[in-house]
Amino acid sequence: MKIEIISFGKISEFIENQHLELKDISNIEQLKHHLETTFPLLGTIKYKLALNKQMVQGNPDLSNSDQIAIMPPFSGG
Amino acid sequence: MSERYNRQIILDGFGERGQQRLSQAKVLVIGAGGLGCPALQYLVAAGIGHVGIADDDTIALSNLHRQILYSTEDVGELKADVAGRKLKAMNPEISMTTHPFRIRRDNILELLKKYDIILDGTDNFESRYLINDACALLAKPLVFAAVSGYEGQLAIFNAGPKEQRTNYRDIFPIPPLPGEIPNCAESGVLGVLPGILGTMAASETIKLISGIGEALLNQLLHYNLLNQAQYIISLSPNSDYEMPATEKDFLNQNNDSSSCELPQDYLEIDAQQLNAMQGNSSVLLIDVRENYEMPALDDGVFSKIPMSGFADFLDSNVEAENIVLICQHGIRSVAAAEALQQKYGATKKIYSLKGGIVKWRNQLNGIL
Repeated sequence: MKIEIISFGKISEFIENQHLELKDISNIEQLKHHLETTFPLLGTIKYKLALNKQMVQGNPDLSNSDQIAIMPPFSGG
Repeated sequence: MSERYNRQIILDGFGERGQQRLSQAKVLVIGAGGLGCPALQYLVAAGIGHVGIADDDTIALSNLHRQILYSTEDVGELKADVAGRKLKAMNPEISMTTHPFRIRRDNILELLKKYDIILDGTDNFESRYLINDACALLAKPLVFAAVSGYEGQLAIFNAGPKEQRTNYRDIFPIPPLPGEIPNCAESGVLGVLPGILGTMAASETIKLISGIGEALLNQLLHYNLLNQAQYIISLSPNSDYEMPATEKDFLNQNNDSSSCELPQDYLEIDAQQLNAMQGNSSVLLIDVRENYEMPALDDGVFSKIPMSGFADFLDSNVEAENIVLICQHGIRSVAAAEALQQKYGATKKIYSLKGGIVKWRNQLNGIL
């Protein structure tokens, strides 16, 4: 399964926009674990995922060519 | 209707009716900084009937590249007062109230009750979560704008059909720890970025009031200045976080792990206390800024341990009984103080210089 990753803010400093080939990963929780293992800095900050431009709640299944956005909170003004 | 608003009244879809709605609205802008200045200017110019300005801060020279309501001669004055004066001169036909104090848990509800729509242009998570929780409790529409680096976020919370309404905690239930996400003072910001986001926040406010177009209800927009990309995601309510249901619950919501207001065991000190501690052999003074940051401090007095290498320092053991952390604005030093406090507990006294080197230097120069 191939998915697209889009990252924002501070997260884009260590996770570039990219297509990921996934093996043995079928849902969001597994993907989060995979991302935090591959990019350890992700585990040190708060972030939220969106799946095909819908904010993720719960643990939805992934499908081929899904788009995942990774967003940190912003506070600056 | 006034000639002043003619060019928007003649717009298809806006008209006298749109103008009438603006003139009856009461909007509170919290934070008269990089986001708040342009938002205030356009809201006041557009003829919002009553505009409130809440900010307890004074104008600094480093604000002027993005906080375009203020002039060089205004440095040191209260933002709320100067903004109020300049906006009144720009449009004397509307009414305005300045609130030159810090919003806190015990005063925010009374303040918000006087307004229909709240625009959050603050610059820190503590204020943002406080405003979010208060707006959710009072069911006040909240226009949220924030920036980081070259990017911005924009959203409208607590508006639209009741069962679809969202708030900031539906996205980020728990506030980041101090130092987890850098702010403008630490990571820098190009002046036009909050200008763009603040103007977008004003346009969403005007859309919400006048009913034109499709306001960003329960959506989060990401804006990237470097490539002009926008990315909008749809938000949905998240039942993981329980919002306070009553004003009493709100006032008591404190000191839990979901709040920014963590009990603090380290002490924040001012410049005078710092001066008194210098030269004492039981005191270790640490500058946690990166090596390239200016001004450089006397390295005979201050040990340089940048935050980028602080984890290594935490692994080592320090003999000094008292440790004072210093950085540019007193934000990273708080994060460092918390980390040291966790490591050493009550066995050492940990201090952070409040307001950092910038404030210390301003005091030396007699500016503040």
